[in-house]
Amino acid sequence: MERAIVLAASAIGIGIAMIAGIGPGIGEGYAVGQACAAIGRQPEAQSKVTSTMILGCAIAESTGIYSLVVSLILLFANPLVNLL
Amino acid sequence: MKYLDFFTIDVWTIIFTWANMLILLTIIKKLLFKPVTKVLQQRDEEVKKMYAQANEANEKAASLEKEYNEKMAQAREEAGEIIKQATVSAQKREEEIIASAQQQADIMTKRAETEIAQERKKAYQNIRDEISDISVAIAGKMVQREINAKDHEALIRRFIENVGEEK
Amino acid sequence: MDVSINGPKVLFTLPFFGGIDVSQSVVSSWVVLALVTVFCLWLTHDMSVTNPSKRQIAAEKLVLMVKELVENNMGQNWQHFAPLVATILAYSFCSSALSITGLRSPTADFSVTLAMALITFSLIQLYHLKSKGVFGFFKRFVEPVPVMLPMNIIGEVSLPASMSLRHFGNITSGTVITALVYGALAAFSRLVLGWIPNTFIANIPIFQVGIPAVLSVYFDMFSSAIQAYIFCMLTMANVASAAE
Repeated sequence: MERAIVLAASAIGIGIAMIAGIGPGIGEGYAVGQACAAIGRQPEAQSKVTSTMILGCAIAESTGIYSLVVSLILLFANPLVNLL
Repeated sequence: MKYLDFFTIDVWTIIFTWANMLILLTIIKKLLFKPVTKVLQQRDEEVKKMYAQANEANEKAASLEKEYNEKMAQAREEAGEIIKQATVSAQKREEEIIASAQQQADIMTKRAETEIAQERKKAYQNIRDEISDISVAIAGKMVQREINAKDHEALIRRFIENVGEEK
Repeated sequence: MDVSINGPKVLFTLPFFGGIDVSQSVVSSWVVLALVTVFCLWLTHDMSVTNPSKRQIAAEKLVLMVKELVENNMGQNWQHFAPLVATILAYSFCSSALSITGLRSPTADFSVTLAMALITFSLIQLYHLKSKGVFGFFKRFVEPVPVMLPMNIIGEVSLPASMSLRHFGNITSGTVITALVYGALAAFSRLVLGWIPNTFIANIPIFQVGIPAVLSVYFDMFSSAIQAYIFCMLTMANVASAAE
């Protein structure tokens, strides 16, 4: 019974953790939009803007990745179950 | 079958990873960076050497050109001198030739003049001789004929005067 | 569906210190080492000064690219750092991209990425110590006010944590998603071919051909390259700022 409660709470926790995916989504969308505007203004700087944008996106993505890691841990290596 | 945890910190894996990265660092340093850097350095040196050689060749060419130009100027000067000399000598010779020709012509003219004078003298002599002969003959004839002193006195006189005048 | 997501398998145990577990990640790392060694040997054998082959041009380009990267991000007098950056790049990229062959990526193991991040972390601390001296090294934690001590320590520790977690999370998510897609495709093929009485034919996962390649391009190639690049960039930026 306790195990079931912990598992259910973990499943809900996984879902809640993945809400963090919103943040990087908005941030990356904004970054890409700005990059598009920059390329529109200065098409000759496209390669530089693109590489900087990809680097920034990858770093901005890390918060989302952290939440993914948390949810993956809860999914496949749940430490809470072992506490019982 | 034994699995490690999905999310775990395994000390031995960490140590193995450090060892692996150290080996990889050595490999990349020894097998990639060292030879490539060596080749790049060698190429750099070669390029520098080539530049030095090119500079040297350029300098050599410049000096050769200068020398050539100098020689050319010298040769031109010499040629000018030779031409001048030749012109001078030719002029001299021309004058000489003209002078000698003049001389010869003078001599020839003189000679011709003297010859003409001699011829004339000769002719004159001949004519005088003939006239004297003829006058002697005429005188003989006149002596044979009856001389009308009255008629011919004047004529004879004039004749003799004329002959004397010729003398 | 029999999709199981596990940690790295323990392939064999060395009988020292009460048994050292050698997991899949370590063996995959050895494969990476072998690949990189062969690649380096192949790139740099019979190099010539005057008449470079295409292979040699690629090798020179590679070296110069890394050197230029180091020079742009760290400065002129950090040329000796280029081999280390190249090592991190090669190890990270090859490890992550190894999943294309079906082997387990070493970087999908948190211990491996943590080890890499700890190298960066120790380098950063070393250069702090070198540039500021022992007193300055510890004084850094109580600046601007002593109350900030826990914050500074967390800030210091969070760098390797975030670096290792980012790398691990990206590659692991790729591995997990690829495994899930493989499982789903196997189940789908079984659904389609289930009416065939022959169990061998019915179990052929026909949909696993081709479709995961699209995922592989993103998760194996693109993600690996980006993560390797980011790891190097962060290492270079932090070490260079630590040495100032």
